[in-house]
Amino acid sequence: MALSAFASRLRDALGPEVVRSEPEDLAVYAFDAYSEDRLPSAAIVPRDAREVAIAVRIARDCEEPVVPRGAGTGLCGGAVPSRGGLVVSFARMNRLVELDVRNRRARVQPGLINLDLSTAIAGHGIFYAPDPSSQKISTIGGNVGTNAGGPHCLSYGTTTNHVLGIEYVDAAGDLHRTSIDDPGYDLTGVLVGSEGTLGIITEVDVRLMKLPEAVRVCVAAFADVESASEAVSAIIAGGIVPTALEIMDALITRAVEAHYHAGYPENAGAVLLVELAGPQDDVAAGEAVLAKIAREHGALSWRAARNQAERDLLWAARKGAAGAIGRIAPNYYIQDACVPRTRLPQVMHRIDAIARDHALPVGNVFHAGDGNLHPLLIFDRRDKRQVQAVVDAGTEILRTCIEMGGTISGEHGIGYEKKETLSLVFSTDDLAAMGKVRDVFDPLRGLNPDKIFPSGAICGEVRSPSAAVPVAAGTPA
Amino acid sequence: MIAKRPRAKRTKAQDTGAFALGALRPARAVEPADARELAATLRAASDAAEAVVLHGGGTLQGAANPPSRYDVAISTLRLDALYDYDPRDLTAGLGAGTTVAQLQRTLAEHGQFLPLDAPLASQATIGGTLAAGWAGPRRAAYGRPRDLLIGVTVALADGTLATSGGMVVKNVTGYDMGKLYVGSHGTLAAIVRANFKVLPAPATRRLAIAPLDDDVRDRAVAHAAALELEPAALLLVDGFREAPPPVQPRMIVLLEGSEHVVERSTRELRSALGAAGVAETRLLDRDDAARAFQNLLDAYLARAGDASVTLLARGLPSEAALRAQRVREAIPRAETIADLRTGDVVVRVDEGRAQRARELLGRATVLSAGPATHIDAWGAPPSTLATMRALKEGFDPHGTLAPGRFAGGL
Repeated sequence: MALSAFASRLRDALGPEVVRSEPEDLAVYAFDAYSEDRLPSAAIVPRDAREVAIAVRIARDCEEPVVPRGAGTGLCGGAVPSRGGLVVSFARMNRLVELDVRNRRARVQPGLINLDLSTAIAGHGIFYAPDPSSQKISTIGGNVGTNAGGPHCLSYGTTTNHVLGIEYVDAAGDLHRTSIDDPGYDLTGVLVGSEGTLGIITEVDVRLMKLPEAVRVCVAAFADVESASEAVSAIIAGGIVPTALEIMDALITRAVEAHYHAGYPENAGAVLLVELAGPQDDVAAGEAVLAKIAREHGALSWRAARNQAERDLLWAARKGAAGAIGRIAPNYYIQDACVPRTRLPQVMHRIDAIARDHALPVGNVFHAGDGNLHPLLIFDRRDKRQVQAVVDAGTEILRTCIEMGGTISGEHGIGYEKKETLSLVFSTDDLAAMGKVRDVFDPLRGLNPDKIFPSGAICGEVRSPSAAVPVAAGTPA
Repeated sequence: MIAKRPRAKRTKAQDTGAFALGALRPARAVEPADARELAATLRAASDAAEAVVLHGGGTLQGAANPPSRYDVAISTLRLDALYDYDPRDLTAGLGAGTTVAQLQRTLAEHGQFLPLDAPLASQATIGGTLAAGWAGPRRAAYGRPRDLLIGVTVALADGTLATSGGMVVKNVTGYDMGKLYVGSHGTLAAIVRANFKVLPAPATRRLAIAPLDDDVRDRAVAHAAALELEPAALLLVDGFREAPPPVQPRMIVLLEGSEHVVERSTRELRSALGAAGVAETRLLDRDDAARAFQNLLDAYLARAGDASVTLLARGLPSEAALRAQRVREAIPRAETIADLRTGDVVVRVDEGRAQRARELLGRATVLSAGPATHIDAWGAPPSTLATMRALKEGFDPHGTLAPGRFAGGL
C-alpha cells in the first residue's frame, strides 16, 4: 500500500524502526478501553523526546492531530485518535532515568509501567504512591495525563500530588521542562490531568515516599452496600483517614472470590476493605477504633490479614475486580463519579434504584473513603434496549452525583466519553477560563482534539455529539 | 458561619498608604462586600484601563515586585464567609479574605486542621497565601497548599467568575485551574473562594529545640535526617532571633501525631541527637509548641532593618544544610534556615549582599524585603517564560492585574 505523504515524511525523518503506517500495524492504536475506535494515519514508537518533537512538527505541517498513548487502559477514550492523525506510543520510552533515594525523587520516561517503578525501588524502602488498579499495565505518562487515582489516594493523594516536574513537547514541537519549584506559573500542575491536550509528556519527575513501618489490611462484612457506606461516612466523620477504604458489593465479591479465593466473605451483602499504614502503635490502635465504628454500623464480621501474603492477595483481588466481572457479564460499563463522603449511603441507594428502573444488574466496587464511585452496569451489547438503558442509567447516575454536590469524574478523566457531560458541572464562563489555557498551549487544536471539552464550547472543537456505545472492559482504578 | 454584612463598597480616597507597594501608592482602595462586587470592581477597572493589585493581609506582598502601574487596591478582607464546612466531610469552602488563623480556629473546634504554615497567620488570608504560592516546612508531611486545594473560584480581569474543581477530594473533571492561580501573585485572576481538603488534627504536638555546637552539627544533621519516624518539620536555624529560642545555632524539630508516636519520636530523637554529641534537647508541648512553631514561621518574613532581604531557595533536602553553610561562610552575618525535610534554604542578609547570596544559592526568590530595598524579587526568569507570558496575555489582555509584579516582568 502506498504511503501517505504524512507517513512518508515521518518515515524519512525517523526511519521505519519508529514509524508504523500499515493498517494492520495501526489497528492496535485505534482504541483504548473505551468503545470508540478509529485508525490513525500513522503511529510512532519513539526512542526519545527528540523523536517526539520531530514527529509533532511534521504532524503540524501536515495538519494531522497528535494523540499520546500510554498503555491504552483509559476508560474514557482519551487515547482514541478520533480524528485519525498521529498516535505517539511510549512503549519504548519506559526507563527509570534517575533515582535519588536520599531525596526520594525519580525521573522516569512516560512509558514506564506504574508498578514497575515501585517494584524497582522497593529495595530502598521507598515507593511511588499513586496506584490505579491498572498499575500492572498502565504507564506513568498515562497516569499523569489523567491525574490517575487509586485506592491509596485516600491518604497519599492523587498523581498530581506526586509530580514534581515534567518535560514536554509543545504543540509547535519544542521541548520544555517544568518544575513545581521554579518561579512563575505552575505549568506542571496544569499539565497533570490535561489528557494530552496541552503537551506531549516525555519525562516526569516524581516524588517517592518512605514505605510505612507497619501495614494492616482488614476486611469487614456488611449486610448491604448502604450500611458499609454508612460505616465509611462515620469513619471519615470521626476524623480517621486510613490509607484505604474500599467497598465491594455482593456481586463483585462473589466474582472476585471465584477467581482469586482471597478470603473475602462471599455471603456478605458488601465487604469493606480497610488498610492502615504508619507507625506500629498507630496501626494497632487505629484498627481497634475502626473495628468498633464498623460494628456500630452493622459490620457482621471483622478480620485482619495475618501476613503480607494474605494482604497482597486481598489487594490483588480488589484491584482485579473489574477483570473478574468478565467471568459473569457479557459486557459492562463502568462509571466514575465522586461525591462528598457524607452522601455515600444516599448516593448508593439512588444508584441501586436507577439500575433497577432500567432493569440492569449493577455491581459496585469503589474507593469509598474518597467518595469515589464506580458503579458497573452489566448488559449485553447485542441487545439494543440494554445498550440504551446503560447510556441512560449512566447519565442519570452522573446527574445524581452532581445534585449531591459531587462531580462526574474522580479519577478516570473526561476523555472522549464525558466531554458533553462537562457542561453539567461547569458554566460557560468556567469552561472559557479553561479554554484560555488551551488557547495558549494548543491554539490550533492539534493535540488530542475532541477530548475533555464539549463540542463547540471552545472554538475549534465543533463536532456533532457521538452516539458512541459505552462498552468499556478495562480495569478501573 | 460568619454572618454576611450589609453590602457597602467602601472607598478610602486618602487612606491608601497601607496599600503602597514600592514607591507606588494606588489612587483608591476598594473593599468589596462579596465575590460579585469584587468581580464588578475588577471589570470597571479593566474598562477604565486601570491597574489593580489584590490585597489580603499583605504579609507576602514583599514576595513580588512592585507593580509597573497601580491605580486601584482591592482588599479581599470582607470575603471572609465560611461557605461549606461540614466537618464530617473533611472539606471546607471559604472566602479568600478569611484569615488563616480564623480558619484554623474554626477547624480546631472540630479537631481538624489545614497545614498551610502561613507566617503571621492572624493577618495572612487564605487567598493571599495561595496567590503567593506559599508552602511551608510541614509540606513534606502533609503536602503543599496546592495539594490540599480541591476547588477554586476566581474573578477574571473582565469581571467574570470562573470555578474549577469542586467540593470532592478526588476530581479530574476539567483542567486543574487551581494549580495555575496558586503562586500567580494575582497576575492571572483574583482568587475569591477556595475549597480545601482538611485533615484530622494530630492528637498532640511537640517542638524539640536542640542548641548545636559547631563540632556536633554535621553529625546531628545526619542523625536527625535518618530518623525512622520522620518529624513533621526539621529545621536548622542560624540567626533569626525572632524564632524560638534566641540562641544560635539550633535544630528545631516538630513532632506531630498520636501521644504514643510523639513519645516514641521524642525518645528516638533524643537518642539520635545524644549519640551525635548534642548536650540537651528542650521540649515544648501542645499550645506552647504551636506558638513557638508559629513564631518560627513568622521569622521567615521578619526583617532585620530597612535594608534587610530574605531569600528563599528551593532545593534538595540532602543539600539544604550545606547550601546554608556555604552562604554563612561567604557572607558575614548572613542568617539561615535550612529545612532538612523540604530542602528549602532561607537566607536573610542586607541588600548589599543579596546578590552574592543569590549566586551562592543558584536560584532564589525574595520572601521579604525592607522598605529601603530595590531588589528584583524573582531573579532569572524560568525557561518556560514564553508560555507564561502567553498565559498572562490570555487571562489579562489589558494588563489590569498587578502588571509587572511577577517573574519575568509579567
